[in-house]
Amino acid sequence: LTFEIEVGGRTRIVEIHRGPEGYKVTVDGAEHTVHVARAGPKWSLLVGPAKAGPHDETRKAVVGAELARPGRSYEIAILDGRAGDATIYVNGQPVPVAISERGGRRRRARAVGDAAATGGPQRVVAPMPGRIVKVLVKPGERVAARQGLVVVEAMKMENELRSPKAGTVSEVRVTEGMSVEANAVLVVVN
Amino acid sequence: LRKILVANRGEIAVRVIRACRDMGLSSVAVYSDCDRAARHVRMADEACAIGPNPPADSYLRIDRIIDAAKRTGADGIHPGYGFLAENDEFAAACRDAGLTFIGPTPHAIALMGSKTAARQAAIRADVPVVPGTEDPLGPEVPIEAVAAIAESIGYPIMLKAVAGGGGKGMRLVTDRDELPGAVRAARSEAKSAFGDPAIYLERRLLRPRHIEVQLLGDQYGRVLPFVERECSIQRRHQKVIEESPSPVVSPALRARITSAAATVARAVGYTNAGTVEFLLAEDGSFYFLEMNTRLQVEHPITEMVTGVDLVTWQIRLARGERLDLGPDTLLAPRGHAIECRIYAEDPDAGFMPSPGRIHGLRVPSGPGIRDDGATDEGGEVPIFYDPLISKLAAWGEDRPAATARMARALREYEVLGIKTTVPFFRWLLAQPAFLEARFHTAYLDEVLQQRQGKPFAIAEEDVEEIAAVAAALHGLASPARPQVAESAWKKTARLEGLRG
Repeated sequence: LTFEIEVGGRTRIVEIHRGPEGYKVTVDGAEHTVHVARAGPKWSLLVGPAKAGPHDETRKAVVGAELARPGRSYEIAILDGRAGDATIYVNGQPVPVAISERGGRRRRARAVGDAAATGGPQRVVAPMPGRIVKVLVKPGERVAARQGLVVVEAMKMENELRSPKAGTVSEVRVTEGMSVEANAVLVVVN
Repeated sequence: LRKILVANRGEIAVRVIRACRDMGLSSVAVYSDCDRAARHVRMADEACAIGPNPPADSYLRIDRIIDAAKRTGADGIHPGYGFLAENDEFAAACRDAGLTFIGPTPHAIALMGSKTAARQAAIRADVPVVPGTEDPLGPEVPIEAVAAIAESIGYPIMLKAVAGGGGKGMRLVTDRDELPGAVRAARSEAKSAFGDPAIYLERRLLRPRHIEVQLLGDQYGRVLPFVERECSIQRRHQKVIEESPSPVVSPALRARITSAAATVARAVGYTNAGTVEFLLAEDGSFYFLEMNTRLQVEHPITEMVTGVDLVTWQIRLARGERLDLGPDTLLAPRGHAIECRIYAEDPDAGFMPSPGRIHGLRVPSGPGIRDDGATDEGGEVPIFYDPLISKLAAWGEDRPAATARMARALREYEVLGIKTTVPFFRWLLAQPAFLEARFHTAYLDEVLQQRQGKPFAIAEEDVEEIAAVAAALHGLASPARPQVAESAWKKTARLEGLRG
C-alpha cells in the first residue's frame, strides 16, 4: 500500500509492505524496517537501519544520520482530526499530518489544507468566550503576518490574536469592552 | 478541627484534601457546574454545589461557601490561593459564622492587601522598600501632582495598583511624556480589576531578581522564616519557574533577607502561612515589594528542600498548635528544587489559553519528581478559570541535578489533545542563561520578544520522518471510512490483526 503523507509542509510518499519481522516501510525511496507493538492506546515503534533507494541519493544523508541506528525506539500516540488529518505524537512531540491513500477507489478526500497558507479572506475568530480589551487595527489597514489584531481577555489573561497572513483588514466586527462568544468572527483580513 | 471545607478548585483543592487525609481529617469540596466531576470533587469525602461557572457566581460567593460549610458540618475553611484567599471579608465571615479560617487574621489580610499600607508597615519595621510613594494616589490627585512625585523619584517608574496583584494595573513609564497616558490606563485597569482606581509609584530597579521568603507564624507571636525562593523567571509579571534556594543568595544575604521578612510579619502580628516578596538589586541590596497573605502556588519547592509540609502546618497553626520547628533547619536547604507551572496554553501562539478535552495524559514520576495536578485523561480544562494543569517540581542534590531531573520529567510529560507550556519549558531549560542562573525579572519577556514567535516545538527531521511512518501505519490500520471517527484503541487492535 502506498500513502501520501503531508508532514512539515511537504508530501512524502510512504510505501508499506508486511515483512517477516514487521513492516518494510519506504519513505521517499528510503527503506526502513519497522516493528510495531501495542502499548495500550499507544504504539511502540522500533525502527531499524534505513537503506537508501537507488533513485534517491539525497535522502541518504538525512536518513543515514537520523535513522540508521538499529532499533531506535519511538513511542507513538495518534489523535484523529477531520477526514485524513491527524496529530501524530512522536515521543510526546505533536506532529500534524494529512494522510491519503494513493490510487484506487479508496483514495480519501484530503481535508482542506491550511487555508492560512492560501489566498482568500481570513477570518480571525475568538478561540474562547471573552472580552475585547483592545482593538489594534482599523479597517483598510495593512497588516503583516503575525501582527497583533485584537486583545481578548479570557481565562484571567489577556491574549493577543494575530493576523494569519499579510494583507489588508477588511472588517473589524468588535469594539473594545465587548463580550464575545467562542468562534465569533472578530476581524477579517483580506 | 474535624472537617475542612476547601473553598477552591483545581490542583490546590487536591493539595489541601491530601493534607486533610494525611491528618485524618475529613474534607468537603465545593464545585461550580462544570466542575461537577472534577478531581477535587471525586477525591473529597463530601462535596457541595455552589453555583454556575463564572467565578463571581460560585467560587467567589462568600454566602454560598459559608452556607456549604454549615450544611456539611465543616468546622474549618481552607481558601487555597486565588479566589477568596486574600479577601478579609471572607476571613471575617468565616470567623463570624464560627468557622476556623485557615490563614491569617482579617486584619492582617486587609493591612497587607493595601500595597501602600504594606509599604508603610515595612518602613516602620526598618525594612527597605523600593523608593516610591507612601500614600495612594486616587483619581482626585491631579496628573501634575503625580508628575511632580514622579520627577522626585526619578524615571523609569513603575505604576502599580494599590489594591493590586498579578500584574494588573501595572505600567512601566520610561519618561515624563508617557506618564499621563500610563496613569490613565493604570487607574482604569485597577478600577476594573479591583474596584479601586488608586495607584502608587515605585522606582523601576534595573535588572532586579524576585526573591521571596516563606513564613509561618503561630498564635503566640512566633514567626519563622524559611529559606528563600527565587521567582525571577516571569512572563508579563507572572511567575513561570520558581526555585529554592536562589542560586545567587549567599548564606549571609539569606540571614539578612529572611530576618527582614520575619520582622515585617512580626510587626503586623502575622499568623499562619504567608510570603514576603523582595526585589534584589544587582548590588545585593534588597527592597520589600509586598506580602502575600496566603499559601503560594510555589510552596512545594520549599517543602522539598526543608521537608516541612506547609499545608498541614497551616491547619495545625489554625487550630492553635505551637510552631515548634527548629529555626535553623528551615534556613538550611537540603539540595535544590525547581518548579515549572504547566499551563494549558499554546506557547507557539503567544501563550494563548488552550482549553478543551485532554485525550491522553502521562504525568512524569520517578526519583525527585513531584507533580501537583488535578487533571485526568478524558478530563476538560474549563475556560472559566486559571488554566494551570499542574505544577511540576523536581528535586536534586544541587541545582544542576535538579535541572537535569526537571528536563527528564518534561520529556516524559505528555498531554494529548490540548496545547501546553511543556515544549516551552523544554526549550527554556536548555538556555545557557537559565543553566548559568543569569536572569532577572525582565529576562523572559526580553528573550521572548527577541524570538518573535519562533516556535518552541520544532519537529526535527527524524521526528517528521517517524511521524510519516506512523501516519502510514495508521492509514493501513484504518481503511477509508469517511466521517467515521474511531478510537485509537480500535485502530491499534486492527493494526495488531494485520501484523504477522
